[in-house]
Amino acid sequence: MIAFLLRRVLWLAITLWVVFTVSFFLMRAVPGGPFSQERELEPQIAELIQERYRLDDPLWMQYGRELSGALRGDLGYSYRKPDFSNAEIIAQGLPVSASLGIVALAFALVLGLPAGIVSAVRRGSLIDAGLMLAATIGIALPNFVIAGLLIILLVFLIPLFPAGGWGSLSQLILPAFCLGAPYAAYIARLTRTGMLDVLSQDYIRTAYAKGLPGRLVIARHALRLALVPVTSFLGPAVAGILTGSLVIEQIFAIPGLGAHFVEAALMSDYTLAMAVVLLYTVLLYTMNVVVDISYSLIDPRVELD
Amino acid sequence: MRRFIGFSIAVAAVALIIWAVSFGTLPPADFTFCNGDEIKTIDPAISTGQPEGRIIWALFEGLCRWHPETLEPIPGMAERWDLSADKRTYTFWLRRGALWSDGTPVTAHDFGYSFRRFLHPATAAEYGKELWYIEGAREFTTRDVNLGDPIEMELYDRPEDALPFTPGIVLRGVVRAVDSATADPPIYTVETGDGVGRFQRVAEGAAAEGVTACRMITYDFEHVGVRVIDDHTLEIRLNHPVPYFLQLMGFYPFSPVNRRCVETHGYPGWTRPENVVGNGAFRLKFRRVRDRIRLEKSPTYWNRDEVTLETVDALAVKSATTMLNLYMTGQVDWITAVPNEVVSDLMARDDFQPTPFLALYYYLINVEQPPLDDRRVRRALAMTIDRREIVERVTLAGQTPAYSLVPDHISRYVDYTPPVFGSFDPEEARRLLAEAGYPGGRGLPRIELLYNTSESHKAIAEVIQAQWKRHLGVDIGLRNQEWGAYLTSRRQRRYMIARAGWIGDYVDPNTFLDLFVSDNPQNQSGWSNAEYDGLIQAAQRELDEQRRMELFREAEEIVLSEMPLIPIYVYVSQSMVRPYVTGFYPNIQDMHPLWAIGIDRQRMSGRAEDARMPGLAPPPRPLSRTDEARR
Repeated sequence: MIAFLLRRVLWLAITLWVVFTVSFFLMRAVPGGPFSQERELEPQIAELIQERYRLDDPLWMQYGRELSGALRGDLGYSYRKPDFSNAEIIAQGLPVSASLGIVALAFALVLGLPAGIVSAVRRGSLIDAGLMLAATIGIALPNFVIAGLLIILLVFLIPLFPAGGWGSLSQLILPAFCLGAPYAAYIARLTRTGMLDVLSQDYIRTAYAKGLPGRLVIARHALRLALVPVTSFLGPAVAGILTGSLVIEQIFAIPGLGAHFVEAALMSDYTLAMAVVLLYTVLLYTMNVVVDISYSLIDPRVELD
Repeated sequence: MRRFIGFSIAVAAVALIIWAVSFGTLPPADFTFCNGDEIKTIDPAISTGQPEGRIIWALFEGLCRWHPETLEPIPGMAERWDLSADKRTYTFWLRRGALWSDGTPVTAHDFGYSFRRFLHPATAAEYGKELWYIEGAREFTTRDVNLGDPIEMELYDRPEDALPFTPGIVLRGVVRAVDSATADPPIYTVETGDGVGRFQRVAEGAAAEGVTACRMITYDFEHVGVRVIDDHTLEIRLNHPVPYFLQLMGFYPFSPVNRRCVETHGYPGWTRPENVVGNGAFRLKFRRVRDRIRLEKSPTYWNRDEVTLETVDALAVKSATTMLNLYMTGQVDWITAVPNEVVSDLMARDDFQPTPFLALYYYLINVEQPPLDDRRVRRALAMTIDRREIVERVTLAGQTPAYSLVPDHISRYVDYTPPVFGSFDPEEARRLLAEAGYPGGRGLPRIELLYNTSESHKAIAEVIQAQWKRHLGVDIGLRNQEWGAYLTSRRQRRYMIARAGWIGDYVDPNTFLDLFVSDNPQNQSGWSNAEYDGLIQAAQRELDEQRRMELFREAEEIVLSEMPLIPIYVYVSQSMVRPYVTGFYPNIQDMHPLWAIGIDRQRMSGRAEDARMPGLAPPPRPLSRTDEARR
């Protein structure tokens, strides 16, 4: 186990370095820069700005400087929001995205798992068809459509929730639901598939043959293995959901991290884009390790190598 | 073991959910508005953009303020001022009793320091050029020092007991020799009070033998036209008369900053809510990225008795649809934009009053690209755009067709009526095109129109494409590029016709006419006209106001007959503001200072109904498509 973790940490370091290098050069290959705007600056002032932010140094020097900064854990200051360091921007955005993401994930699991189990157990029934239709719709509908429909319904027609903003529980529910809905749909389908797969196994037949009540067979014997595909889906999903969603954040005016991913890249805010990319890499990698470990917990046959 | 792990996972999950759904409470502000995108900075010197302006105008106050209705410069930190007979020297007498939020008085020294900081090369202020009207300011910012010039050298040594971010010791002298042949950056031989020395702007310790390394070398600020006469008198000397200079002195980038605060914390430390010291009507309570900026009334502001709002929230909301949703559900009192799709539904409401905005939507033409190098082709294209169709069918919010470079609404504020290039005249256009050798559009090389990726620019481009096809028989291609690529194409002139927009910085024709002067970096058309340049320069130096406007008019006639641009429409500002908000006046700069805004409590008692059930008009469709960043 220890050796497994150490190996993974080493690979994480290598992955981060590769991601850093590729992102660094890709971002600088894009035309424009952090200070491009329609209002053209006097050339002398443009030069002074390059000098102030040290963008006039040769590329390899900037690379070295940023890499050594990143190694020391210093992610620098944002070019487009220079009042804040990137660490501060992440420190303010991540808890918001995480809090939204956790609730969204809770929605996804609470809705998705039972739906998947029920439709697998009642395969072919009307309930199964209904639930899977809902799941297909949940996957097919982009979440801005769901958000739009819910805003019309629950904000304007039946004023239950505020239209947006951040700072109270009521402002959290709608966006969390919209964010979680597609995940719930995926989870339902994965659970159903996994469950069907397991239910046809010999040991389940044995359990039934022993005379165990159906509920017990499903809860104790079948569910555990049926969760394996869900778990492998959840790993990257958690990393994605915790770092926020541009669309949901924009519709509901939520100060999460998601918008930074897109805007920093579009605006060539090199350092901020780098910071969020590295953060996402670490999260995604960690979640995948967690998933690997959880396999061994869920399924006694799996051994970590 | 497994049971234990399962149990701890369950506990952790519950704890996480409890953490996720617990919120602190925040008392609502007196006045809440959507400020558009997250602001870049609250440091006046490096700020640009309207959202930044709204916040900086609340936290700081310059020599003048702008009247919220007429935009005339009115006394701010300066109580009164005087202009010399040659219209080049302003004397400002500062208000006694004006205080910084740390309780110290605001003096002329603060302005001397702030102008120096604004113009300093290390600040790299984007609006730097707007203060180059001041004598010596350009030389100071661009480090343009020549033989015989006064020079200042900032050493790496700093005065003893200096604050952490105080600049180094500054030496002053006169340049006796410049060695730029063998050294880069150049080595200056300077005669100072203590004799002659050699100085170079290089890293500490990197200078050659006998040369003193300096952090900065530039034109001596003592010779820049900003002079502190005494604690309450400031004199500013300009290179030439600038009729809108007082208005500039009220523009937010030229707000003063507190020297002690800046030198104690440095940038960006001094902009933090716990550190920042301002002299405006409000103080910064807290600031959360992409969420909100909470302002509270400043107890030290000189005019505090007339500021009625105690707390203000500026929400960072980018999407106009979200803004409208927040407004319709009563969460905010003022929004600065509405989604295009619902504009026509909103027109019936009396809390939506689109107002002409000092900004022009136009197409820039690369006049070096055939066939656009022919003036007749450019004119033919300009004459076959039916601008009414664009404003009535596409933009919808009451934008007005533009036939000139300077938006004609400016005549409500200054004595200038722009000439027009012509009118919608397909017949004349066809004649011009035939005269240019392309009858019925035959033989015309393919023209391509470039715009930055956005639904609204696309819609306009498609209408114009169809109009040119219909009226001239000309088929053009459309090309869109992402923002960065589009700007690069424009800068490198790899385009034929490009969408463009310009927001006037101040209410004077110069802010538009200056765009097409040959050496303006904004002039990416390749068009250069000596007579035009001469007229603009003459106008800038003209003392007589009426004559000055005549010169501008002559110049605009030239640029409109040559047509390196095709004006399309004049923007409108699209604020929606609640009827109980007082002190909010529509104006051409879309400028609404928070110190003037109040709440009419009596009218506000109807707030709940007004908010929840918009009885004035049917509720607009709450759209959820993400809006384009730039409209």
